[in-house]
Order: sequence, then structure tokens, then C-alpha cells
Amino acid sequence: MKNSTEPTPKANPVIRLLGLGEAGVKLVETLAMIGPGGIETYSLDTDNRSLARCHQSQTFLLGQAIPCGLGTGGDSALARAAVESDSEHLAGIVRGADLVFIVAGMGGGTGTGAASFLANLAKEAGALVVGVAATPFDCEGIRRCNEATGGVRDLKQVADAVFHFPNQDVVLMEGANVSLHEALEIANRHLCEAVLGVSRMLLESGMLNVSFGDLQAALRGRHSLASVVYVDASGDDRAAAAVRKLLTHPAARGGEALQEASTLLVHLSGEEMTMAEIDAVTGAIGSHATTTNLVVGASGPGRDGAGLQLTVVIAHAAKLGELGQEQVKAHPDPTGQASGLGFSGSFSVLDTGSYFDLGKDTGDTSRGGFAYTPPAPTADALTPECREDLIRVAAKEEPNRKKRQKIVQEMLPLEIVSKGRFEKSEPTIHQGEDLDQPTYIRRGAVLN
Amino acid sequence: MSNSQIIVGLEIGTSKVCVAVGEVSENQVVNIIGLGQAKSRGVRTGEIIDVALAEEDVRNAIVEAEQVADVEIRSVFLGVTGSHIRGFNNTGVHPVVSADREISTTDIQDVIKNAKAINLPTDHSVVHSIRQHFRVDGQDGVQNPEGMLGAKIEVDVHVVSGRYNRLQNPIRLVSGLHLEVENISSSALASSLAILSMEQKELGTLVIDLGAGVTEYAVYSSGVIKHTGVLAIGGDHVSNDLAYGLKVPLARAEQLKIDHGSAVIDLEAGDREIDLSDDSLIPGRQVNLGHMQKIMSMRLQETFELIARDIGQAGLIEYLRAGVVICGGGARIPHITRLARDVFNLPVAIGRASSVSGIKNALDEPEFATPVGLIKFGVFQSLANPRRAGFGRVIRRQVAALFGR
Repeated sequence: MKNSTEPTPKANPVIRLLGLGEAGVKLVETLAMIGPGGIETYSLDTDNRSLARCHQSQTFLLGQAIPCGLGTGGDSALARAAVESDSEHLAGIVRGADLVFIVAGMGGGTGTGAASFLANLAKEAGALVVGVAATPFDCEGIRRCNEATGGVRDLKQVADAVFHFPNQDVVLMEGANVSLHEALEIANRHLCEAVLGVSRMLLESGMLNVSFGDLQAALRGRHSLASVVYVDASGDDRAAAAVRKLLTHPAARGGEALQEASTLLVHLSGEEMTMAEIDAVTGAIGSHATTTNLVVGASGPGRDGAGLQLTVVIAHAAKLGELGQEQVKAHPDPTGQASGLGFSGSFSVLDTGSYFDLGKDTGDTSRGGFAYTPPAPTADALTPECREDLIRVAAKEEPNRKKRQKIVQEMLPLEIVSKGRFEKSEPTIHQGEDLDQPTYIRRGAVLN
Repeated sequence: MSNSQIIVGLEIGTSKVCVAVGEVSENQVVNIIGLGQAKSRGVRTGEIIDVALAEEDVRNAIVEAEQVADVEIRSVFLGVTGSHIRGFNNTGVHPVVSADREISTTDIQDVIKNAKAINLPTDHSVVHSIRQHFRVDGQDGVQNPEGMLGAKIEVDVHVVSGRYNRLQNPIRLVSGLHLEVENISSSALASSLAILSMEQKELGTLVIDLGAGVTEYAVYSSGVIKHTGVLAIGGDHVSNDLAYGLKVPLARAEQLKIDHGSAVIDLEAGDREIDLSDDSLIPGRQVNLGHMQKIMSMRLQETFELIARDIGQAGLIEYLRAGVVICGGGARIPHITRLARDVFNLPVAIGRASSVSGIKNALDEPEFATPVGLIKFGVFQSLANPRRAGFGRVIRRQVAALFGR
């Protein structure tokens, strides 16, 4: 599976953190500053200015030939073209890694367009690929939100799992009166904590280990949205406080997400943890997740000393209904979708296609609102070098067509489970299960 | 006849409205003299969704019962159910303050009053509060502490509560038919009254009433009710699952369930096909019996498992020495006892109304447990608060009704 050049067994998994686009670069830069050792960080962007601000991580300018270091201006197809022209170098970056985090802010150009391609490269290099995607606030406009959803979905189809952080959650959590600056800070903190939590879980040698194997078993090949909740608490009652914080976290949805998860990786760290505290935390999580595979790890004092730090990775099995739900969420305003006059903007992301992929089946069968493909680039809009570049890469890509089609196809909810006569009555919810739906469907029995 | 009293039980169920008329002789022997039934159309999962239809069905059932029993029905004991009904236990404590430490009647009344003082949400009201056992200075299982010596007296009560508005809906409906509702009882309690013997209550029994809209259950142990619960899952869910899984209309699924249903999967059933061409629009339409049994079995098994889990959490599963008794329309499903035995690991029986005499039909059928039980409930009520239906009372009641509206 792994194309690693050195076959010698490693003490720790090789974790690489790739920041894509402006938001991703910023986050990676922050993480590189505070993060535990043993993580290699890379900042990738199409914009020279954003890379110029990086001091901690290794930088690489994407698409030297096409956007020429000026950014994509929100054009994800351009970002895709840029990242594809640099695929050789990028393949070098991901080679030999065990775990690749791709951190990107969705909704703009570079993050949205390039993340799935980069994920694919990392995947081909044999790494476990985890996308970390932040999606914009609702107030940033439907167009941007739609682009972001498209980006997350594209990334999800390639990456093993995507940790999804809707910025809007911060508003839900902190109330609408939070200042923009604070909101962004909190959103960034959540993201950083997620990545740090997972890497700490893997790198810190603990008393009870959650290993890379556990993470791999939970996420590999799921192609679903996962989430990471990181909370810390201190004081006498720190275990109970941590559980409370966990359950009120938007990603846990009051414990519902725990119940629905297929695997939970729970990692605790803190000074002088007592058995009672571990018991209280795992017991509380266990009571919410009765059918879930629970993996518990614990290690000594973390970076904050006295506090108790709890990291929970909530992994889902890929679900049939997921796509449908997601689309409902993604398009809160159907009229906005219908009146989407800025077609090329709104829907270019729904097609993974870049300029190189035009007219070629990429295996992406996800459906957007319209069966719309962006127009081919007009010849005079490109510089001669660009054109040469495009043709060269396109020619090189041609024989690989088969390989590209291996991208796992996401399943549509072909069977919409109706509740028949109970459709309109009060739903009978029992421990997160809707009992009005036929039991045999909920339990996955097959009638053949 | 002149000394006997007429008590009527009315259950407005999801599949049928049922009225049972009982004649109680002076020595408290109940004799069922009439039954009235009507197909229920205005009820879903135990609660009224169409008042006009439900009213018509209740009227039909009452009229039928009046004709069969040859009496005029003025008042009924009404069974109430629905997913909003909860059962829980509460304890009341009272210190014995008298100098000689002898427990007096006032002490007993006080402790019961304390136990019944429950903090309920404002929109909830109490349906029952049933006294369990007394404890005197920690000595458990005291049935009547009057005259005993002690410093502290405690009592456990089982409280059944529900949302006030949703409880009022069926009461208002019955009042609208110019019938008086003497009292309401949760259907689970009524069914258990009808079918359990004293020994079964003493040994510990779980009663499951598998209705069309809801499944109710009650646990008896040491002669008192310990736990009740309502699950908003019933026979309708089975039919609905079948309709969905076999892709047949709901009415046909209902009929299939009655004709070919089974609670366990029969190994040979996988090869058998049921021909639906007699009434299907598509000639030659067949459904696989194995699939049908699988769908049914999974739903019923899940229902039992949910009950088992709830009772397990209440810590009562060890106390069910007399096993499980199933009643309600669901008790007619073939092999239901086998499935229940597998889930609960306890002996399982179909409940039949005992300790009442009268129309054979009413006593043999498990689905009449609730109305028959309501009559027994009515007998206990009238024993507890005897009131003779004199002329003065009728007048008083009518005046009260005038001003009470």
C-alpha cells in the first residue's frame, strides 16, 4: 500500500500538514508555531503575498505559470489547473507520509479547487488522507456557501475523511453577538485544536495508546464527514466539566452525533488523572454511544498542565442518506439556487473538472442543482505559455484516464425511506433512532 | 337487578373503539353483559387526530353496547394512552411526632399526601398515583402500618402522568356525547387488572398490551404495580413496515399480516410465495412469505427489546418470576409467545380476562383486556369512594355540569 522509500519500521507515523489557500496557510502557520514536534508543515498557495507571511512552514507557490503568484481570485477551476501543473512537485511532498492533513478554507479559489486534487495525490502515495475543511459563515452569501459545499464534497470523495468545521457553528455556540474577530479566532482555534488533538493522540506515548492503526481503522476508505471535538477543563470537577463541554459542542449535537458514529476515538490527557475521572468521561460517552466502537486512550500531562484535555474523533460509516441531507443543508434557499445567474461561479465547483478535465469523465458523479459544466477557456484568455502548459499536461493525463476513474463513487440515496402513515404524525424518537421507520431498514437487513 | 350497579369501560383505541358493560352484583362479582365495538378511524398511535370521526365511532360503539346489554349508558370509565404518558415512582417521608410513637391514621394520610406532592411540569397532570408499600424505620414491605411503632414512616407511590391537554381530548370527546367520565385510567393498568391474578401480581409479572397504535406495559411485583410505560409502536407499525417492504398498499399489508403473519421466521417460509393476484391490479403479483415474516419479526423483536431494556434499567427483570403476559390485538400474532420467550428468557402466556364472568367472547379475546379491566378499575373506584346514584346526586351533577363548562 505504501510507496515509502525507506522500508524500515518507524517509531512514529509521519504526519504532514498541508495548508492550502489563504485560510489554510494561516492555520498551518499557527499550528507550526504551537504544534508538537514531529509534524512537517507545508504552506501551499497560488498567492505570493500569503506565502510571504510564512516563516515556520515550508512554502511552495502553486501554478507559477498560470496565475503567476497573483492568486486565483476565487476561481477554483484556475486553482485546479495550477495545482495540476505542479503535480510532480506536490507528489514529492506527500511521498512517504503516513497521515496527511489537508487544511483548507472552502469557498474561495485555491482551497476549494485544489484540495481534492492534492488529496488524490496523497492517496496515491499511500497516506491516510484527512481533510480539514472550514466552510464560511452563512452571511458570506449563498454562492460562497455553495462553492464551499461543493469543495467539501469533492474533497470527501477522495480523502478518507473530512473534518468539517462550519464557521456558522461558532455563531450557534457563542450567540449572534460575538464579534467577527472573536468568531474567526474561535473557529480557527477549533480547527487547530482538532489537528493538534489528533496528532497528540498519535504522537504522545501514553499509558493507554490510541495508535495510528486505530485512526486508520476508523477512517480509512470511509469518505465521510468526521468531526473532532477537543475540549479542556480544569478544576476539581474537571471530568464532569469536560463531558458537559463535549456534549454542548455543536459537532456533538447534544450527544446525537456520538450515537450515530461508527467509531469513537477518545483520548484523554492531563496531570494526575484518576481512574474515576477516566471512568466518568468514558462512561458518559458510552451512555450516549451504546452501539459505537469506542477506543480509549490516555496520556500524561499535556501542554496545559493541570487541565484535563479530551479529544474525541467521531467517525461515521459512509451513509446512504448523507448526501441528501447535506444538500438540503447546503442550499438553504432554493430560490437563491434557481436564480443563480452567476452560473460559472456557483456551479463550476460542483464539477471536479478543471480546464484539464473538460469533456472527460472524472468519475465524479455527484450532482449539483444543474447538469452544468463550465465553459471551455477561450483561447485568447490564456497566454501562449499557459496554453502550451495545458496541452502538455492534458496530453500526459490522457493515458491515465482509467486510473482517475477509480475514485470511489458516492452513492445517492436511491431509496428514500418513507414513514408511510406515520409521515405526518409526531415522530417516535428513541435514543436517536426514528422508530417509525421500518426496523429491518434501520438494522440493515437485506431482503433478496 | 335493582341492587346491581352498571359499570362501563370505554377504550378509544387506534384500531377499534370498544365498550364493555359490566354488571356488578352486591357482593362485587362482575358480570359482563354487553360489548360494543366500532372500527376506529380518528385515532393514531393512541391519540385522537380527528375528533369528528372519533366521536362518531364512539357513539356507534356505545349504541351497540347499549343494545346488547339492554341498559342506558350514562357514565363510563375511560382508558387513556399515548406516548406522552409516563410512569415513575416517588417516595413520601413523614416523621411520627406523637409521644408514644404509635402510627396513627393521620400519619398515614400525611405520608401519602407527601408522596403525592410531585413536581410536574405545568402542562402535565397526574392520571394515577398508586400506593405501593410502606416502610417504617427502614423496615420494608409493610402493608398497613397503622398501630405500629416507629419514628419515620415512608411510602412509595407509582405515579402515572401525562400532558394535560392531550389527556383532556378524549374526555372532552366523551363529554360531548353527554356521557359522564367517572374516572380515567391508563390502559396498561386497566389491562393488567383484567388479566392478572393475585398470585401473578405477588410473584412478579410483566404485562404487555400490544395495541395497534401503542404498546403499553406494566410490571407488578409483590402485589403492587412497580413500573409502567408506553411505547408509541404498535400493530400499525408492523403493517406500515410490511406495506413499505413488500410494496403493497397499506390495507393489503394489514390483511396480509392477519392472514399470514408470524412473529418468528419459519425456515421453510423463504421458498413460499403468497399470491396477491386476487385483488392486486397487477396479475400474478406475489410476495415472499420469508420476507414478510422477517419484516414482522424484526419489528416485534425490537419492540420487545425496547421494553426489556427499559425494565432492565428499572432493575425489575429479576423480579418477574411469573413471567410475561401478552394481551391486546398483537397477542393474536402466531408464535408471539415464542418470540417474547426468546427476548425475555421468561415464561410467556397470552392474557385472558379472569375473575369476571359473562359473555364468553369478551373474556377469551386478549384484545378486550383493556375495556374489561376498566370495569374492574371502576369496581375498585366505587369501592373506594362509594356513592349511590340518588336523585340528589344527579341534580347536583347536572348543575355542576352547567357551571363547569
